[in-house]
Amino acid sequence: MRKIPRSGVDRSGIEARGAACAVPISGAVRRVVRAGLVAVLALSWGTSIAGTTPAVSHPSIHRAATRAKPPAPVEPPDQTTAPAVLDYAPYHGSLESIAWGGHGELRFGYDRTAGVSDPSWFSVGRANGFFLARLGSRFRLGAQAAYDRGADDFVLERAELIGRVGRALDAHAGIFLAPLGRTNLDHDAPLYEFAERSLVATQLVGVPNAELGAGIRGFGNLDPTFPFTYEVDLVTGFDDGVIMGAAGGTRLPAGRNNYGDQNGVPAVAGRIALQPSVDTEIGFAAQSGPYNQTKVGGATVDHSRFVHLVVVDGETRAAGFQLAAEAGGALIDVPPALRALYAQRQWGASVEATRLLRAPLFHSWHGTSLSAGIRADKVDFDARIPGDSRSRLCASLNFRPHPAAVIRFGWYYEWRRDRFNNDTPMAGLTLTAASYF
Amino acid sequence: MSIRWRSHLRIAFCAAGIALAACVAFSSWGCGKLLTTEPAPGERFDQPLEGLSNGELGDFQDGHTQFRKSFTINEGLGPIFNNVSCASCHSGDGRGRPENILVRFSRGTDLVPGEGGPQIQDKAVPGATAERLPAGVDVSYRLPPPVFGVGLIEAIPDSAIAANADPGDANGDGISGRVNWVTPAAYLPAGEAGAGPGPRAGRFGRKASVSALFQQVVEAYHQDMGITSTFHPTENVNPLGPAVAPGVDRAPEPEVPDNRINDVSQYMRMLAPPSPGEMTATRQRGQTLFAGARCVGCHVPVMHTGPHEIEALANRDVAIYSDLLLHDLGDALADNRPDGSADGHEWRTAPLWGMRIAREFLGGRLLLLHDGRAHSVDEAVRLHDGEAAAARDAYLAMPVADKAALVDFVESR
Repeated sequence: MRKIPRSGVDRSGIEARGAACAVPISGAVRRVVRAGLVAVLALSWGTSIAGTTPAVSHPSIHRAATRAKPPAPVEPPDQTTAPAVLDYAPYHGSLESIAWGGHGELRFGYDRTAGVSDPSWFSVGRANGFFLARLGSRFRLGAQAAYDRGADDFVLERAELIGRVGRALDAHAGIFLAPLGRTNLDHDAPLYEFAERSLVATQLVGVPNAELGAGIRGFGNLDPTFPFTYEVDLVTGFDDGVIMGAAGGTRLPAGRNNYGDQNGVPAVAGRIALQPSVDTEIGFAAQSGPYNQTKVGGATVDHSRFVHLVVVDGETRAAGFQLAAEAGGALIDVPPALRALYAQRQWGASVEATRLLRAPLFHSWHGTSLSAGIRADKVDFDARIPGDSRSRLCASLNFRPHPAAVIRFGWYYEWRRDRFNNDTPMAGLTLTAASYF
Repeated sequence: MSIRWRSHLRIAFCAAGIALAACVAFSSWGCGKLLTTEPAPGERFDQPLEGLSNGELGDFQDGHTQFRKSFTINEGLGPIFNNVSCASCHSGDGRGRPENILVRFSRGTDLVPGEGGPQIQDKAVPGATAERLPAGVDVSYRLPPPVFGVGLIEAIPDSAIAANADPGDANGDGISGRVNWVTPAAYLPAGEAGAGPGPRAGRFGRKASVSALFQQVVEAYHQDMGITSTFHPTENVNPLGPAVAPGVDRAPEPEVPDNRINDVSQYMRMLAPPSPGEMTATRQRGQTLFAGARCVGCHVPVMHTGPHEIEALANRDVAIYSDLLLHDLGDALADNRPDGSADGHEWRTAPLWGMRIAREFLGGRLLLLHDGRAHSVDEAVRLHDGEAAAARDAYLAMPVADKAALVDFVESR
């Protein structure tokens, strides 16, 4: 049985779903989908690097497609189509060797806090654009920027140069998404089952978390049926926004998207993902490095203080459900004079289950699907005290008119606790629409 | 039945289920259960007074946001400070907790600014040094007080407060409350309630040392959060620590605009005290016993407000259970630290309101008296002495059932 990725829709091969439902898919549709997937895979220049490689366009598709046969590389686009001038002046670009695209998400919400509704009923959840340019046979240049509702900002998620060192190894440098769990590597809105990403992702890891650095990505096999992937990077790490820019206590996301180092010492980030079976993946990720500024105006104000972040993620399939979980913990060395208010230990976890209810939704609506999901998650901003935490339960019913687009109807209920452990309930109904374009 | 029809039937069931779920969700019951409910009026500390105009309610919301705003170090928090926002000290807009207790100190009447007085700021941003209590000083621990109902307190005229004063105990009842006449801060805008050349009747703070709510807010920004304003444009630093390097404080002065201070002041003015509980027969009896024990000598049940620009505050009775005067409460509660004209034995009569729901915001406990040392009304009464000795003794002489009725009445306020 082929793996169905977290969206509950098998985007790696419509045939599998069609067969499972005993509904024939026309040859034309199959050819279009296959052609689209090949194009997407080709755009994901690190296509031979499974799992940890965040593809520029459709990382989940890339992951799903490569997970079954990780070592099998998809050949890069035909080099004969690239004009020779690119080899000498790649910065001039060429439409024939540049791919671009993006995705968007609109959110309509009825949100209430302790019974009082929020007048902001419409917002852009995410707007993303990317391009990829091939610079010769071994190098590629990619960039991706997004407006993200969670970050409430435009984020440069990628601006990196990638060089193929070997068949199973890439080197890369620039700005890229830190390999801190699958959600940070793979958070395209159209592929996601819920209107909101998990609390551990947005509030602890700080998805989208892009950093400046350099490193390697690769894959290997423990045995022919047990592949693994890895990534190791030296990055700028979090900056002192973790403390200085954080309102109400330590918040790692306030120190993310750090494109310049403040202390001259890089952080080390890495992830290894194991795939013991086709349907299962377990990832272990960590980042460690100093975050603070030790000198201000030439005067030494502090010594280096470290943030250690560990993220564990996993997904599998059981009883017709796609199950996924992500957990993280952080240790932050806070200056003594701030420890009463700023946490030194934080953690969070999320568990979600999704199920493909029907595909195609109607007899003749090929490519459509209906799926549902439920998720529970929590983040504790200060493990030392009972309060300062957020817990959330959410459910979603998703209609996909096309594998690359989704219309979601969702509900969430959240308990926010302040440092006094006073509870403020929040809840809402959401209607979100997301699509690649 | 064909596969096709069965399929359509299934879809119809699904659609009906979704429609039913939507109906439930949007019904009042569903909205309440699934989409949170608004607390009943009088059940929280952060609700507005009744009778506010739409414009005033808008101001209330603006101030509500600012009251809850947590300052970051990049926005100017510090260099030394106690907490990051107004709401971080006043739990749910009620009183604070021991972990947020403020430490005031002096040497006699000398507020020792050269040693970091009159308040310890025990947190500091990197590059600054937090204050530590100097040796040999007079210390007073203060729980942050509740902030609801302060607009009503502000609206009570000086003359109404003075009317209850009896500094020489002329009536011989053993109670000699006096007004803490204070000089308002020079920076107060003209026309601000409690402002003027002075002296004015102090009413805010544990020793009634401040006459104007606006001044209380400005001082809290500056002393508690290290946030400067045009009223206090200079950063508070630890005078005993090394000099703070330029750039350690990351925001230029003033760190909040004047209108932010005004928003928070207006918000606090319009905060309603929670409504008292139902008056049961037991509580009725407790009320009678409360009066009979002469608790009302200081905890005056009702004060009357005067004219005020906010109509909802003007000319109304306020069930405050306080005379806002200074009273000697004896040695056990004395902090032996003067505060303005209040001596080390004197405290302002604490209003008895919000008691009914106070536990909800204090982790299930009651924290009474200026430093929260009493965890029940009974314990608080037993700690009264000085001018309150006769009332305390009357309470202690009551049968158990009467004590319980009196406590039940007080806790229902």
